Amino acid sequence: MIDKTLAQRSAGAVLECEVNGRKIAIETPPARRLLSILRDDLGLTGTKRSCEIGRCGACMVLIDGKPRNSCLTMAYQCSGRSITTIEGLADEERLHPVQECFLEEGGYQCGYCTPGMIVSVKALLDDTPDPTMEQIEEALTGNLCRCTGYGGILRSVARAIERGGEAT
Amino acid sequence: MAMEEKERLRSPSVWLPRDPGEAVRLKEAFGGDAVYVAGSTLLRTQWEAGTAPVPAHLIDLASIPGLDRIEETDDGLVIGSLARLRDCAAHPAAAGKAPLLVSAVKAIAGASVRNQATLGGNVVYRVGDSMPALLALDAELIWHDGRTEETIGAAEWLAGPSARPGILTAIRLPDRESGMTSNRRRWFAFHKVGRREAFVPSLVTVAIAASVAPDGTIADIRIAAGGGQTVPRRLTDAERLLAGRIPDAELLEHVYDAALEQYAPAPDPFAADSYRKRTAANLIAAELWKSLREPDRAGKGDGDASESID
Repeated sequence: MIDKTLAQRSAGAVLECEVNGRKIAIETPPARRLLSILRDDLGLTGTKRSCEIGRCGACMVLIDGKPRNSCLTMAYQCSGRSITTIEGLADEERLHPVQECFLEEGGYQCGYCTPGMIVSVKALLDDTPDPTMEQIEEALTGNLCRCTGYGGILRSVARAIERGGEAT
Repeated sequence: MAMEEKERLRSPSVWLPRDPGEAVRLKEAFGGDAVYVAGSTLLRTQWEAGTAPVPAHLIDLASIPGLDRIEETDDGLVIGSLARLRDCAAHPAAAGKAPLLVSAVKAIAGASVRNQATLGGNVVYRVGDSMPALLALDAELIWHDGRTEETIGAAEWLAGPSARPGILTAIRLPDRESGMTSNRRRWFAFHKVGRREAFVPSLVTVAIAASVAPDGTIADIRIAAGGGQTVPRRLTDAERLLAGRIPDAELLEHVYDAALEQYAPAPDPFAADSYRKRTAANLIAAELWKSLREPDRAGKGDGDASESID
């Protein structure tokens, strides 16, 4: 039914990509969600599972530097890509400046949305170091805080902008 | 959460065609067991909600080189069906040639979804928020049936059956004013109303594109409305009232009535048809009224603007 040239062009059972700067090759069904691969296969549980339909942003990761919902992304869509999770932001010595600002300004309440928030804010500031309020709101439309702690979150973003990505 | 166990037990095969012909041949071979996939953001939510079954085979259109191109041509703008919404909104040629489409695309979902979702996916959904804008811009859809390409107007495609053999490869926005030496200005407006300000399904979506003579006469106007599960349509009765006229308060009352009458929203469980009809008619009349009072206003925020044709 399917000729051989077509058969060679199906996604394989092994996903090769980069996660937090490390090259990986992992056996996984091609349509498996990135969220499940990160949490269950790689043990990177900082990426949170919540709405699972791309609305809440708790599972936000960076794919080639752009924020993406890992619950909406399938394994084959990550082939050859560079993925950064919340675990990949800090270096061994210290937290990422955006993480420090969230800590200092109390940019979290229960903390469940925080990894996704921080990933989105990092992507925003990498792209636009001095964003307007409109740009900040747009960058965070896909991140919901059910505690409604947005005041502290916006304070943290303002502090991170002030610091210009530098550690204090 | 049920997805997690299921995805291990039964994960679809993913096929990576190299050109449209190969994609169509795969679909012909697998039939109903295969689904074309672009950004997959809508499919994923449908699988999760159980409103569509997880198919045995996925045919990944993103693996076809070149389908995500955005290019300016002599007579318009061509956007590949696999162009991500983010790239449509950020592309300088789109901002120059089709600011109305940029406004519409920015109103779809949230930023992270727009990094993944494609314009073609939103079009094929039929009720996506890009569609009213594409109708107002008189867009053409380029389809590939596995052998040849065919171009069909967006309005004509929407009026036909939803299932169509082949794949959508590009969306073409013809430059209706190219070669024209007139000093008409282009004017457009886009409004999406939902239950909150951003990242929300639409209840009513309205798009207007017009060209206006220096004395305020509307030379040409297209008004389209959709919202929720409503398949967007042109509001031709309101358009006819406006063509060749300089709108005033009295004319806008008639335009309001015509829009109210012709806009037929698909039922929504939480919002009455009468409310949505009034909303659509109000938005259209209000935008036209604003354009009269502030003819040179450059659009900001709520997605309306005017600009001169040069």
